[in-house]
Amino acid sequence: MTIEDTRPRSARYVGRSVQRVEDPRLLSGQGRYVDDITLPGMLHAAFVRSPHARARILNIDASDALALDGVVAVYTAADLAWLNPMVATGPMRDGILAHSRTPLATDVVRHVGDPVAVVLARSPYLAEDGRDLVDVEYEPLEPVLDPLAALEPDSPLVDEALGTNNISHLEESAGDVERAFAEADHVTRLRFHSGRSTAAPIECRGVVAKYEDRAGGRYTIWASTQMPHLLRMFVAPVLGVPEGRVTISSPDVGGAFGLKCTVFPEDVVIPAVAKLSGRPVKWIEDRWENLAAGVHSKDMICTMEIAAKADGTMTAFRGHFVTDSGAFSSIPFTPLVDSQCAGIYLTSCYDVRDVAYSVDNPLTNKCQIGAVRGVGWVPGQLAREVAIDQLARELGKDPVELRLQNMIGPDVYTTAFGQTYDGGSYAEALEKARDAVDYASFRERQAKAREEGRYIGVGFSPFVEPTGWATASAAAGGLPNGYYDTASVTVEPDGSVTVTTGLHSHGQGHETTLAQVTADELGVPMESVRVVFGDTDSSVFGMGTYASRSAVLGFGSIRESAGQVRDRLLRLAAILLEADPGDVELVDGVAGVKGVPGKTVPLQQIALFGYFGGTARPEDVQRDALTATSGYSPGETYANGCAAAVVEVDVETGLVEVEQLVAVEDCGVQLNPTIVKGQVAGAIANGIGVALLEDLVYEDNGEFVSGSLLHYLYPSTTEVPELDLLTIETPSAVSVGGVKGVGEAGTISAPAAIVNAIADALSPFGVVIDRTPVTPEYLRRKLRDAERTREAS
Amino acid sequence: METRQGNVAVEMTVNGEPMVGIAEPRTLLSDFLRHGLGMTGTHVGCEQGVCGACTVLIDGQPARSCLTFAVQAEGCRVDTVEGMAEGGALSDVQEAFRAEHGLQCGFCTPGFLAATEALLAENPDPTDDEIRDYLSGNICRCTGYQGIIAAVRRAAQTRKAASA
Ligand code: FES
Ligand code: FES
Repeated sequence: MTIEDTRPRSARYVGRSVQRVEDPRLLSGQGRYVDDITLPGMLHAAFVRSPHARARILNIDASDALALDGVVAVYTAADLAWLNPMVATGPMRDGILAHSRTPLATDVVRHVGDPVAVVLARSPYLAEDGRDLVDVEYEPLEPVLDPLAALEPDSPLVDEALGTNNISHLEESAGDVERAFAEADHVTRLRFHSGRSTAAPIECRGVVAKYEDRAGGRYTIWASTQMPHLLRMFVAPVLGVPEGRVTISSPDVGGAFGLKCTVFPEDVVIPAVAKLSGRPVKWIEDRWENLAAGVHSKDMICTMEIAAKADGTMTAFRGHFVTDSGAFSSIPFTPLVDSQCAGIYLTSCYDVRDVAYSVDNPLTNKCQIGAVRGVGWVPGQLAREVAIDQLARELGKDPVELRLQNMIGPDVYTTAFGQTYDGGSYAEALEKARDAVDYASFRERQAKAREEGRYIGVGFSPFVEPTGWATASAAAGGLPNGYYDTASVTVEPDGSVTVTTGLHSHGQGHETTLAQVTADELGVPMESVRVVFGDTDSSVFGMGTYASRSAVLGFGSIRESAGQVRDRLLRLAAILLEADPGDVELVDGVAGVKGVPGKTVPLQQIALFGYFGGTARPEDVQRDALTATSGYSPGETYANGCAAAVVEVDVETGLVEVEQLVAVEDCGVQLNPTIVKGQVAGAIANGIGVALLEDLVYEDNGEFVSGSLLHYLYPSTTEVPELDLLTIETPSAVSVGGVKGVGEAGTISAPAAIVNAIADALSPFGVVIDRTPVTPEYLRRKLRDAERTREAS
Repeated sequence: METRQGNVAVEMTVNGEPMVGIAEPRTLLSDFLRHGLGMTGTHVGCEQGVCGACTVLIDGQPARSCLTFAVQAEGCRVDTVEGMAEGGALSDVQEAFRAEHGLQCGFCTPGFLAATEALLAENPDPTDDEIRDYLSGNICRCTGYQGIIAAVRRAAQTRKAASA
């Protein structure tokens, strides 16, 4: 859909760093998060979870728990047999298996943290006491832990019903890859293991539910989710009721980062036990559960090959991506959100026409893999960008020059796999990052430092990020489902404005940015606009917020609906002003006639006339009043940019210090530059974690040992330096307002820049960095190995 | 005073107001504030003593309310985020967080605000390194800390200017 609208309108808010509307509430402790919700008669839930990676459940004895004063009920899978299974389908095509599960484990537990039973009690403390008294007898089974071994025909199966561990195998190629590799002057190969990390928002998940036995049964569910409508769509069929009998309300959400756009067993179990117990039930996830049984991400064994000519021209890419998928296919995005995203965008900003990838998704007895900020783009970016640096070293080329030599131009470009980029600053972003680290003098500084026994290095990571996730971009990304959004704009009788949207805000500041957009479109003060979202009863249907989509979808859907209302307002004003509608302008909530000072009418009066002006009003206003609802599904939008890192490695301790981190971001037209910077900074910090710290570890027997924030390390104020945040604005060639979206860029770009910087610092040692996180012990091991090899030769 | 179930009445002064509530001896201060007194501004992010979201001031000292039993705060002065704004106007520290975009989802924010108050009481003119060091026990997943550090700097300056 294209919106042709050439009426002059001055953007007063869009592009300005207006202060956030939500801040006073959040700063004064008046945010309302899911754990702040209390209902009369409410019970508290605690889940009994598997301590084993894989085991058969022989018996569950809840009698001691039930004997405890204050414990009201204990439910197991047998009590929930009336629920329909939860099914992850993913894109329905050959090579992809649907996977179904019951919300509570039936005969077999499949990972540490797999829910087995739920205890309801009068208080959370008593629920936990009860949980500790539920006696589950297990027969441990041999766990499947190595994703490559899981692909072997003789591997034990995580889910016998599937007959295989590999829930999806895909292959795709373009051009003539075989020939390109056969004819290459040089081929570089890299096997890279991207580590297992997760979102770990500071607010864990939570669900509060009540069931009312009226009108055939109604569920009201408060959930810490990014996508209220989609959650309703997935939960209702499992509960066996039409969507109309489920209300999902997502109050303030304390960070999500993709974790909360998954449908979890608890989302179903809590409403189900509210029905069974006849009481409202609250469950608040604890941190161990969040780390052990939410979603994990990015654990991928990547094989990357690049064919090149002697002059540095890259002619072909070939990648194989194996995601260590965990025990269940996550709903709705499945582990393809990692592996396929790594493969299908493999060429990124490089003009490489011969390209092939394959992906495998073996199930293992670990936590499920789901969408987390940056998804599979992060491992894909790591594999490609680390391999490009390796190629540059092997060819004796400068890594920046080699990249520039192979880069696409700034105009609209269609990749070998058919994604059509909407124009961007691909080379310019890299050049800007290069200049920001003073690359010209860096080598000299590096040489001097080496003389002093200090090892510094620099690394670059230019990227392209699919944003504005909509039907077109999803299809281009291999996930051909419909994605769009709607917004409804109402000018109320007193002239104030209400916008409802199915998008969701959990830190992004939509109450601010979407109000900015609306105010500009209508010509009203921003303070008069209220943005309503997060409740399926009060918001129009929408897909929720993830995949850096909301700026694009919000702008487009609001511009269309607000434009319709504005048009009605102008015609109403023209009647009141006895002027031609074409001569009327609406600025700051006051309509006036162009060139006739003093002839004005305030919005209140226009609105009141719009609602109650009888037959003097235009016919469409008599019918539709001042509400318009409209949808938007943009063409493909892609942000781009580049991260550059300067690090110092202490070769004695293996410790890496990030001395400088530059992020050049081109997300098209920015709605609010301060908010954009905040998004980039947060994503970059996350990227530092992915590169250096964050690791979800399973022992050889499948035991999970990263269940606290003491073990799952994550960047604090002392690990994130002052960042250099730079921007370029290349308006999108396709989206309304030229907006592209931001949100994941830093997480995609930073890890590869840091890894390349470390490899650069350690180039005198011949160390190959082949995994994340690059921890001190890993680096020390690599350095020791390198030394041993040197001594042996 | 002990009740029949072993529960005790706990008294403390919260944001200047005397308050009393019933708690089990094992009740955490975070739960006592949030669920006992209904003051949900203090947040819980880990209950492992790591994230700092639950930070409040006990007799002026920053403390992790998830590692403190309610009974340990008996008779103490406890300050939480709800008490910071005066007469509906945000405090200087809160204003600084708003001005510098020191928050996104807002979940870590009450803990950071409490820690900042404690820092500025101890050290009215901290360097960036001192700010980073002092706040390293509070984690934020949203902001990458850039806005938070800038906010603390700004709050320090505002306070200095106001007292000059
Ligand atoms: S909740 Fe207390 S430190 Fe995390
Ligand atoms: S603002 Fe979300 S965790 Fe800090």
